[in-house]
Amino acid sequence: MNKSGLVIRLAVVIAFTAIIVGLITTQLFYRFTFLNEEALGKQSINQLYNTVSPTASIASYLGDEELAKEVVNGLTSNDIITSAAIKTDKLMVLSDTYQQSSDTIEFVLYSPFQKERRVGLLYVEANESYLRAKADNISATNTFVVAIEALIITIISILVTYSVITRPILSIGKALHSIRPGTSERINKPRSHQESEIGQLADDVNDLLAKAEQQMLKEKNLRGEVKILESRFRMLFENATSAIALVEPKGDILLYNDNFEKLIEKLKLPLKKNYGHYLQDLFVVKKELHEQIQIAFANNESATAELELISYQDESIWVQVVVTLLITDDLQESYQITLHDISKRKYQISLLDQKANYDGLTNLLNRQAAEQHLNKLIINGQPFALIMMDLNDFKPINDVFGHDAGDELLIHVSSQLLKSLRKADVLSRWGGDEFVIILPSTTKDDVINICAKLASKLSKPHHLSQYDKSVSVTASMGVSFYPDDQMELLELIRAADKAMYYVKKEQSINNKLYLAFTSDVDNLEHDSKL
Amino acid sequence: MKKFNQVVTILLLLILFIVFAQAEEPLAVVVNKANPVDELSRSELIDLFMGKYVAFPNDVKAIPVELNGDHKIKIDFYRYLVGMPLSRVNAYWSRLRFTGRKRAAVFKSNENDLIAFIIANELAIGYVPQSLITEDLKVVYILNE
Repeated sequence: MNKSGLVIRLAVVIAFTAIIVGLITTQLFYRFTFLNEEALGKQSINQLYNTVSPTASIASYLGDEELAKEVVNGLTSNDIITSAAIKTDKLMVLSDTYQQSSDTIEFVLYSPFQKERRVGLLYVEANESYLRAKADNISATNTFVVAIEALIITIISILVTYSVITRPILSIGKALHSIRPGTSERINKPRSHQESEIGQLADDVNDLLAKAEQQMLKEKNLRGEVKILESRFRMLFENATSAIALVEPKGDILLYNDNFEKLIEKLKLPLKKNYGHYLQDLFVVKKELHEQIQIAFANNESATAELELISYQDESIWVQVVVTLLITDDLQESYQITLHDISKRKYQISLLDQKANYDGLTNLLNRQAAEQHLNKLIINGQPFALIMMDLNDFKPINDVFGHDAGDELLIHVSSQLLKSLRKADVLSRWGGDEFVIILPSTTKDDVINICAKLASKLSKPHHLSQYDKSVSVTASMGVSFYPDDQMELLELIRAADKAMYYVKKEQSINNKLYLAFTSDVDNLEHDSKL
Repeated sequence: MKKFNQVVTILLLLILFIVFAQAEEPLAVVVNKANPVDELSRSELIDLFMGKYVAFPNDVKAIPVELNGDHKIKIDFYRYLVGMPLSRVNAYWSRLRFTGRKRAAVFKSNENDLIAFIIANELAIGYVPQSLITEDLKVVYILNE
């Protein structure tokens, strides 16, 4: 049995109380009995005195020893008197064991005939031990009765408490112990406590269990809903085609999806917890993103930017970055950063750009792009030389061997020309067999040198494998200088064109001529006009 | 009228008292004229008559003289002396007799015998009504004066 169990505790308390109360009661009763017996003893002695006083008075008055002895013997024959004595001025009669002490009771004896005349003293000693024994005897009986009573009360209290309170409570406790909350299990109301406080307790416990069950059911349903919702969100998040990451303002990544992980793998970067503010470390240029974010957030919008990612691969990866500010319920800021891969689009755009600016056959800048380039140079005020070049004898080859051969020849020419040019120089196909070469910051002597090289490269025969025939072309070149010759682009081109036609025309006379400068042609014309 | 009645009533009561007082005549305790004792205290008187002492204060033997039976004077004497009825006095003596104590008294049947005995005996002491006192007797104490 449990040492601190209710029954044991109660038994100990009741028994202890019973013993204490019993002890106190017994003690008080003993005291009371003793005093009572003492008083009774005194009373008896007084009565005895009253009985013997006339005789004692006579004995004292007369000094009659015999009579006095009679009185003393008579008194000592009582249980409650140990010894007695009569004293007068002449006489002293003592019982055998008489001894004067403080407990001795003294009675004054008067003359039987004169009530005011003292004739002697009567001493009586009460039998204290007799009184005590009598009180002890009564008290012992009482103690025994009280002890039996205490025992009976203890046993009955324990039994009643056990059967009425402890056992039902224990049974409720035991039942409660084995009950799983949230189920339909309930505890049984003790049969004898349908209306009592214990019954009420059982009812309350059952109410509580019912509430718990309801609550848990509700929570279970709610949990199910949350789980479904969560799985849907997860699906959305995980299966999003874009890489998505949830980032703290300091740059710590809270959450990312599979695509984000794949993207980082693709970039051959280690998967880190932090890539700087707004994942900035992933981008080649960071400045634009910051600017965009500041503008967008100031207007409560999402920031968007198209940025190139850092990559250790040849292929560059471009993404559209969308940064959205999220504020949670507890006012925590975080950024949802979405990275859409736009590399393919970028590539397509660059292809279009290629198509628009480059000649499909020779891969040189087309006329339009060349004009743009020239405009740019003029706007920047950068001096340059413009060489207008036209191939001689190309048309017959085209006519004889067909367009394919012509095309092949043009490709060959392009590559030959590029070999003689410097890095900053631009070669473009102006149309048909016409080329424009732009030489920035170049002197006339340099131009002469370069043109000489170009002419020599061109003159090398080209073997048309399809026709097993070697062909070679020559070119006519007209050169104008910006800004020395002309400030306007159209005028500049026209001037170069003019110089080139001058060469074509002069070639019939001088077949070694392949180059003319605008300034020279103008002078010649001027001279001829003169 | 009322006042007169009150005065009459008081006078009547006074008369009645005097008559009664005269009826209860004082008793004189007397001894032989030759007895050297002139006067006794009440206690000495009691001690002599109740048997404590059998001598006068001067240590001369004393002989108390009593009347026999329930004599009126005897009854009065004990009533005056110890305030007890004669029956109790007799009971006292009866009790003492069991312890072997004898009474040293002389009993006379009437007053005249008693007086004669005292006149004839120097050690005698007795009691008589005051009216019977003669020249031959010496009064040592007067009861109910």
